[in-house]
Amino acid sequence: MFDPSDVVDHVRNGMLPAHIYNDSEIFAAERDAIFSRSWVFLAHESEIPQVGDYVVRRVMENSFIVSRAGDGAVHAMFNMCLHRGMQVCRAEQGNASHFRCPYHGWSYRNDGRIVGLPFHREAYGGETGFSKRGQRLLPAPAMDTVNGMIFVSLDPEAPPLREFLGDFAFYLDYYTRQSPSGVEVLGPQRWRVKANWKIGAENFAGDMYHTPQTHASVVEIGLFREPKAEKRKDGATYWATSGGGTTYKLPPGTLEERLRYVGYPDEMVERMKGAWSAEQLDLIGRDGFMVSAASVFPNLSLVHNWPKVADSDDVLPFVSLRQWQPISENETEVLSWFLVDKEAPEEFKALSYKAYLMCFGSSGMFEQDDVENWVSLTATAAGTMARRLLLNGRMGMLPDGSTIAPALGGDEWAGPGESRIGYGEYNQRHLMNRWADLIEAGPARTAAVTVGTPGEDAAR
Amino acid sequence: MPILKADAAACQGYASCVIAADDYFDIDDDGLVVLLSTEVPEADRERVDRAARACPAAALRLEGA
Ligand code: SF4
Ligand code: FES
Ligand SMILES: [Fe+2]
Repeated sequence: MFDPSDVVDHVRNGMLPAHIYNDSEIFAAERDAIFSRSWVFLAHESEIPQVGDYVVRRVMENSFIVSRAGDGAVHAMFNMCLHRGMQVCRAEQGNASHFRCPYHGWSYRNDGRIVGLPFHREAYGGETGFSKRGQRLLPAPAMDTVNGMIFVSLDPEAPPLREFLGDFAFYLDYYTRQSPSGVEVLGPQRWRVKANWKIGAENFAGDMYHTPQTHASVVEIGLFREPKAEKRKDGATYWATSGGGTTYKLPPGTLEERLRYVGYPDEMVERMKGAWSAEQLDLIGRDGFMVSAASVFPNLSLVHNWPKVADSDDVLPFVSLRQWQPISENETEVLSWFLVDKEAPEEFKALSYKAYLMCFGSSGMFEQDDVENWVSLTATAAGTMARRLLLNGRMGMLPDGSTIAPALGGDEWAGPGESRIGYGEYNQRHLMNRWADLIEAGPARTAAVTVGTPGEDAAR
Repeated sequence: MPILKADAAACQGYASCVIAADDYFDIDDDGLVVLLSTEVPEADRERVDRAARACPAAALRLEGA
């Protein structure tokens, strides 16, 4: 039997048992303890703008239909027919007022309510045999949105999404609320990599250290101005409640100059000034930091970069959102979306999309560099030697647990949470400590749900 | 104007009609078809006729269509 204390204590000490990156027992524990409790991103509201629009997404192997019903409300429902369990909707996305199960033809409205149940009277004796009144596809146990991002949790007792995100909401706005209208998304591109899901989440959370090495070729060919070794270490990493990320230090200048430096046109800068709080603006204008990669526990990441486009010296910023969808202990499906402010000029949207495709997405240059490392790491973690090795994940931490870099004060960092300049694996430790807490806590207790048997609900 | 008719006794509750035109058909708590409107303007004729023909139990008819 899997004993979590074997790994949890090491992880809390900043030491990572190498096999956690390729271990079927660990993966099973993650399914029960992490993905059955945490808030997990499913879709963005702009993917289903019209009544009847839907997308089908998963939390591990649990398929959900995320649809916009007739009244405009968003529903996330478990994509399993109440009759004998067939997947009700087999498409990935579309527009439908109803879903009909392909097996025996039960049909459901796009808010999940049962509509058609063939031969209800003959086959069940009507309502007495199967009470279909009020029956619906199982709604996600908890669903909530922030900045148009739809999250679900399989734990009905999950704390509210805002509480879970906590202070990370401050940073989320840089990516998903550059104007009061918020963002629209394109995608997702999906592809599979033979790598454990945690590696990408940790990397995006705080690995500024890999940039000069792994992505050296991108700098060499002159497509990216920033990730030179000396520049990257001037940036800060921050952690705030359930998420954290990396930043670049910008050259001296005013707020406007700095936003222009990363490529935002004046009209977008004006809207940012209207959309963000004084503190959110100060982090850029006063403190000179610009957000780059970030991760939210457990498997959602964001990225903001500003590569050079065409042959000029001009850079163009893009924002991307991605999910590390676990397939197995050694395989991950990556879902990658392009995000852009709804109010951005059309020309900006088009160029920003180009910048995104150049860097990230299935053919992006950063992607290729990263994935080679992660696949190789995962493969090596499967062996017996890896079972003996405790990886050192203590960068930035001294033996007594104190940190090399002091936390930035309120006069240096206007944002909430804890931030430090330079290389360190502070954020990876935050992410993995949260992981350890849940692995230790074990599976969430949940009640069974019965369908269509009036009077027996209480006896379950 | 074409008139829509339903034979509730023949209806088997497939909801094919509801899926095809939910502005004309619904299903009641007993699982049987209910017509939301029986008069079908020309503009909707083709669509509603198609919905009526979709009924596997032949319980629907659009008369004068
Ligand atoms: S399609 Fe026919 S059988 Fe099905 S609900 Fe409509 S009327 Fe009834
Ligand atoms: S399993 Fe869906 S109708 Fe039977
Ligand atoms: Fe990278």
